[in-house]
Amino acid sequence: MKTYINKILLLSLVIVSITSCEVQEFSDLNNAEVDAFENNLNRGDLQDLVGGILYSSRLRLGTYFDDTGVLGREYYRFSASDPRFTSDMLGKEDLTLDNNTFYITAPWGSRYRTVKNANLILGFLEGQDLSAQFTEQEITATKGFLKTFIGYELLLNLNLTYQNGIRVDVADENNLGPFLSYDASLSEIRTILEDGASDLESGGSDFPFILSNGFNGFESPSSFLKFNKAISARVAAYQGDDSGTLAFLEDSFLNLSGEDLDTGVYYNFSLDPKDIVNPLFVSIDGITSANSRVAQSSFVTDAESGDNRLGKVVELDAPLSQDGLSGNYAVFRYTSLIDNIPIIRNEELILLYAEANITLNPDEAVNALNIIRESANLNPYTGPTDSESLIDEMLKQRRYSLYAEGHRWIDVRRYNRLDELPIDREGDDVFTQFPIPLTENQ
Amino acid sequence: MRHNQLSSINLMLFLFIFPVAVFAQETLTGKTINESTGEAVPFVNVIQKGTSNGTTSDLDGNFSLSVESLPATLVFSYIGYETQERVVTQNSPINVSFVEAAAALDEVVVTGLATSIKRTNSANAVASISAEELIGTTPPPTLDGAFYGKFAGAVVNANSGAPGGGLSIKLRGATSIQGNTQPLYIIDGVYVDNSSIAAGLNTVSAAASGGSASNQDNPTNRIADINPEDIANIEILKGASAAAIYGSGAAAGVVIITTKRGKAGETKFRFSQSMGWTEAINLLGVRDYTEQRVLDSFGEADRAAYVAARDAGTLVDYEDEIYGEKGLINITNFSMSGGSEKTRFFAGVTYNDEDGIVKNTGYEKTSLRLNLDHTPTDFLKLSLSSNFINSSSDRGFFNNDNSGATIGIALTATRPWDALFPNENGIYPDHPNNTSNPLQTRDLVKNNETVNRIIMGGSANLDIYKADNSNLELILRGGLDYYGQKTRALFPKALQGQKLINGGLNGVSVQGDTQNKNYNLSGFLVHNYFTDSNINFRTQLGITREYFDQNTELITATGLVASETNVDQAANTGSDQTRLLQENSGIFAQEEVNYKDMFIATLGVRGDKSSNNGDATELFYYPKASLAVNLNEFEFWNSNSIWNQFKLRVAYGEAGNFPPFGALFTSYDAFSTDGVLGISLVGIRGDANLKSERQKELEFGTDVNFLNGRIGLSATYYVKTVDDLILLADLEPSTGFTRQYVNAGSLENKGIELSLDTRPIVTEDFQWDLGINFFKNKSKITELRVPPFNLGAFGAGLGSFRIEEGKSATQIIGSFPEGLRVVGDAEPDFQMAFNNNLEYKNFQFTMLWQWKQGGENVNLTTLLTDLNQTSHDFDDFGADPDGELPNGQFRPGANASVHTEDASYVRLREVGLYYTIQSETLEAILNGSINSIKLGFSGTNLINIFDYNSYDPEVSNFGGGSIFTGVDVLPFPSSKRFLFNLSVNF
Repeated sequence: MKTYINKILLLSLVIVSITSCEVQEFSDLNNAEVDAFENNLNRGDLQDLVGGILYSSRLRLGTYFDDTGVLGREYYRFSASDPRFTSDMLGKEDLTLDNNTFYITAPWGSRYRTVKNANLILGFLEGQDLSAQFTEQEITATKGFLKTFIGYELLLNLNLTYQNGIRVDVADENNLGPFLSYDASLSEIRTILEDGASDLESGGSDFPFILSNGFNGFESPSSFLKFNKAISARVAAYQGDDSGTLAFLEDSFLNLSGEDLDTGVYYNFSLDPKDIVNPLFVSIDGITSANSRVAQSSFVTDAESGDNRLGKVVELDAPLSQDGLSGNYAVFRYTSLIDNIPIIRNEELILLYAEANITLNPDEAVNALNIIRESANLNPYTGPTDSESLIDEMLKQRRYSLYAEGHRWIDVRRYNRLDELPIDREGDDVFTQFPIPLTENQ
Repeated sequence: MRHNQLSSINLMLFLFIFPVAVFAQETLTGKTINESTGEAVPFVNVIQKGTSNGTTSDLDGNFSLSVESLPATLVFSYIGYETQERVVTQNSPINVSFVEAAAALDEVVVTGLATSIKRTNSANAVASISAEELIGTTPPPTLDGAFYGKFAGAVVNANSGAPGGGLSIKLRGATSIQGNTQPLYIIDGVYVDNSSIAAGLNTVSAAASGGSASNQDNPTNRIADINPEDIANIEILKGASAAAIYGSGAAAGVVIITTKRGKAGETKFRFSQSMGWTEAINLLGVRDYTEQRVLDSFGEADRAAYVAARDAGTLVDYEDEIYGEKGLINITNFSMSGGSEKTRFFAGVTYNDEDGIVKNTGYEKTSLRLNLDHTPTDFLKLSLSSNFINSSSDRGFFNNDNSGATIGIALTATRPWDALFPNENGIYPDHPNNTSNPLQTRDLVKNNETVNRIIMGGSANLDIYKADNSNLELILRGGLDYYGQKTRALFPKALQGQKLINGGLNGVSVQGDTQNKNYNLSGFLVHNYFTDSNINFRTQLGITREYFDQNTELITATGLVASETNVDQAANTGSDQTRLLQENSGIFAQEEVNYKDMFIATLGVRGDKSSNNGDATELFYYPKASLAVNLNEFEFWNSNSIWNQFKLRVAYGEAGNFPPFGALFTSYDAFSTDGVLGISLVGIRGDANLKSERQKELEFGTDVNFLNGRIGLSATYYVKTVDDLILLADLEPSTGFTRQYVNAGSLENKGIELSLDTRPIVTEDFQWDLGINFFKNKSKITELRVPPFNLGAFGAGLGSFRIEEGKSATQIIGSFPEGLRVVGDAEPDFQMAFNNNLEYKNFQFTMLWQWKQGGENVNLTTLLTDLNQTSHDFDDFGADPDGELPNGQFRPGANASVHTEDASYVRLREVGLYYTIQSETLEAILNGSINSIKLGFSGTNLINIFDYNSYDPEVSNFGGGSIFTGVDVLPFPSSKRFLFNLSVNF
């Protein structure tokens, strides 16, 4: 009997001893915590953080391009899984754009996430002594890189909300800056880009990190500066600042040659499961109205004959239709799941160059437009050279050259021509801008 | 029996108040023992019938009582045992063997971690389900699937009809918005894991890319592994007032399961076999196509195809083709139990094999159990429970997607004239209108979960000290729940959507491996103290320790080589690892005071630390207090009245709910960009100072029982508040985060639970038992310190949940031109269940009806079929209030109120008809060794009444983890079951 008691008491002793009241505290077991980079940031860390910017800058791009492509009536997005591409976004009957639906919330949040990723790195760079790991120039170059990205990402959101504006000052998440008007936002973006440009100019010869293949030819501070200037040129054009546009283009990678239209900076994709694939690619084989982008029919009918840019759409055996809309041509701008998507490329720069010259130097504008026409297998421009006609021609070339690259809707909006966009279904509306997401509490 | 007890207690009272001199002439002695174990039964009341003369047996069961003369009739009574009368004619030692009362299990309920209390003294409305209630009518598909309608206060909801379960149980309303809402399961003292582990189907379905990041893979919840046949009893602590002693993890309630154990005596064998089938309860049907309609909807090419197929008679009802199977069910169970006074055992094996209503879906489970009890000495008791489970479920590929790949989505795009069947070489044609061919998906896709699980629990009870008026017991317990789960999802490259030429990934193989290990240890001291003034004290102290460790590795391979499925035989491989670790440490103390069974008061407190709290060193205290008053025990109560019981009770308690794992941290996640690794924020901001949610519950109630137990009524009203609600609240997305974890609100649930148990008719041959329960809960967000936000569905345009101060926690809103408007509420108006048990001679007929009234779903199944113009009611009218447009044209552009549908239902949940052949009839067979044979037919969900335009109003696209069930996106249709049952006891 006693032995039992002894055994039991021994057992309870064991249990009590392992049941000591202390509980272990765990850090995040599955992911790197933000706080971890506030001290002892090293070169490997910076590479990872910059890699995160490359990643998040591509999040929900498909939605951004569908937003601009569908609202700009470049194409229709047919989806069996989501009706709102053909209802809300086309203003079907009484429907309007909702301020809490994926078409605005998803790309908006993703762009600001990239901005936050960049702002966090700026904070890490400024909040600690990094002289042991990086040279002064490397830090400056990195800041220039980050500011360029911040400016560009903000511009994409401003493109969606337009006169509703955006928040530019978002570095302190607990003390966000106000929403600025469209014009004020544009000039702030331009300032950020210019600030980044001056950092890049004094940033030495190398970044302390590598970039993905989409940045081939732009992977040093001095060459990346040309990308920065190209984005600034776009911003200046949106501001209607022709001379500013030309000045930025001067320092960009503009090349007035029809052979070199695709030089530029790209988003790129891979099939690595940790990566994302090109969100705009839809195979033509097996295409159905359950998942397709169908060109609005005037893209083909408005084209001049022989325009090789019609290769961006493919005629289908049978028309696809959904929700009272249909089309014979599927968008085939991208031909595989790993096709690059341009951020900005020379063809746009030539067109920006033409646009800025319409009032300053119409002949030069025609020359530039002819570079584009020639490369599209069209004869040189023979129409009148008054501003109005050249704007028509420039917008037309932009429509075909930059098809499905997120420009058409913004371009016609810049020239107050949204009412000229085609409407295929009675009761539809062309919207000017997206509402500010509900959760911004505006 | 109750009446006897009552009188005995009254007699004792009488004794106590008016002590009388008893002139002893004969002193009778004897011993009270338990018939099955042979152990002494202490503290048995011994009363000389018709007098106030009585005593109680001592700790060893010995008693002595003096009577004036012989013969005398002695009445022996003890709670939980059958009361006995003995006529004593001569003075010799009397051994009284007690048999546990049939309803004994029902008579005690858990109050502490180590103790129980008789139900008549409980201050809480603790629900319990006996083995008979659990499986007596019909074998349930899973354990939790047997909870429907069995007790008041639980909303049970199946996420879909996929074989192998997937259920949520919510006790007493919304207990948390974004934290855990599922009760804690404890089986024989072991904390049992109830995770739902996603199989990584999102790679193919892309379900989470459309603006909702929740898990839409619809996995099984792991409580489905537990074999219902093994269970002796289940007790459900519905809220903090009863569950406070379980502390920081108990806010969503606690389900305490006791498995069957052996009794000393003859070895009993039981064999049971059920066979039957399952079939869909409701298919939607095909649109009423005409040439004109086909032309209008799909164009000339389809019109021609339609006409050709119609004329050739080759139109196919693809819905029926896919969901129209009858799945076979086979459940075999064998158990034996018995043992000696020292060692007793229960051993059982169950094999369960069920096919689904879709080919290549099914559920197979083997469960082995061995429970041992050993009593080496009369003051030490050891027990062991062990259970091994192997289960495998093939769940098919259903629910929401954004790629047209799941069977449900593919069906919506399928028209009866589409040619989808494979040719003679087994080659499937590509679907003409969709990115996948549902027949090919059904036949070639594999989505399997396999689990090997061991659950073991052990305990030791040691009587350290025993005296006449007090005793001290030490109880030590340990438990382990260990399982390995494999998920294997295979999408071969032959699939339409996987072909490279169609822009596919050329085959996807997703392999997940989860190791889960929970173990818990505890030690308790229980002290009983009986005073002469009839005030009894029971004190308990304890420490507990729980460890949870789960590690999931998920490997996703795309671009498969040849017909290989190994993840290395692929062009691209990605992996994902998720670890969950948690340690809890708790201490508790509880004091129970019982004054003559008239007043029973309990006071207790639990203190908990957990690694899941922002500060792991902080001790959080969870108090409880309760009082039960048995008016029928009072002196003024007429002992001859018709009232057997009249109890008033009140209980208060607090319990916690941990922050979701990971909510304490703001972290990056790792990604790549064409080979360049990077870390990016994922949009959720954590909070290192997050506190646990704290639930405070106050419940009042009464239990009355009269007409000799023919009518029992229990009523409970509760008010439950949850403070420091953990919310994943919206954050201005320009911060770079879209959501943040915050303690930012409070909610309140008020509810009422009524249950009535009656026996309206009893004759010699016939007996009718009727149980009715009714419950209703209302929730309200009483405080919200962040702006109102939407969650849990697909955006306000289609109907979304919205958390807003002053409103119901489960309201559904829609966006309208003038702004947001409430279009529904997921919470039912009330639920009721009617349980009928009729016995006529050897026939038994049982029916359980369950009625859920009100509560809305967001039904997107209809919308998705409308968009593809294939809805069964596309050309009908009714949805458009102006009567202008047919349903199929009106609904897609309509506002959220059209997609929000009443999800009421009435179901015949369970029905069973049995005939029992008693041993007398079987005497000639096998030398009379068969005790009884029970034969019968039973069914589940045989009658379903609802007016709801999808497969079943009981559905949840987002699984059972949150309170936001009831989003309907082309689920696996639910099914009914028909079973023939045979059981033999020998």
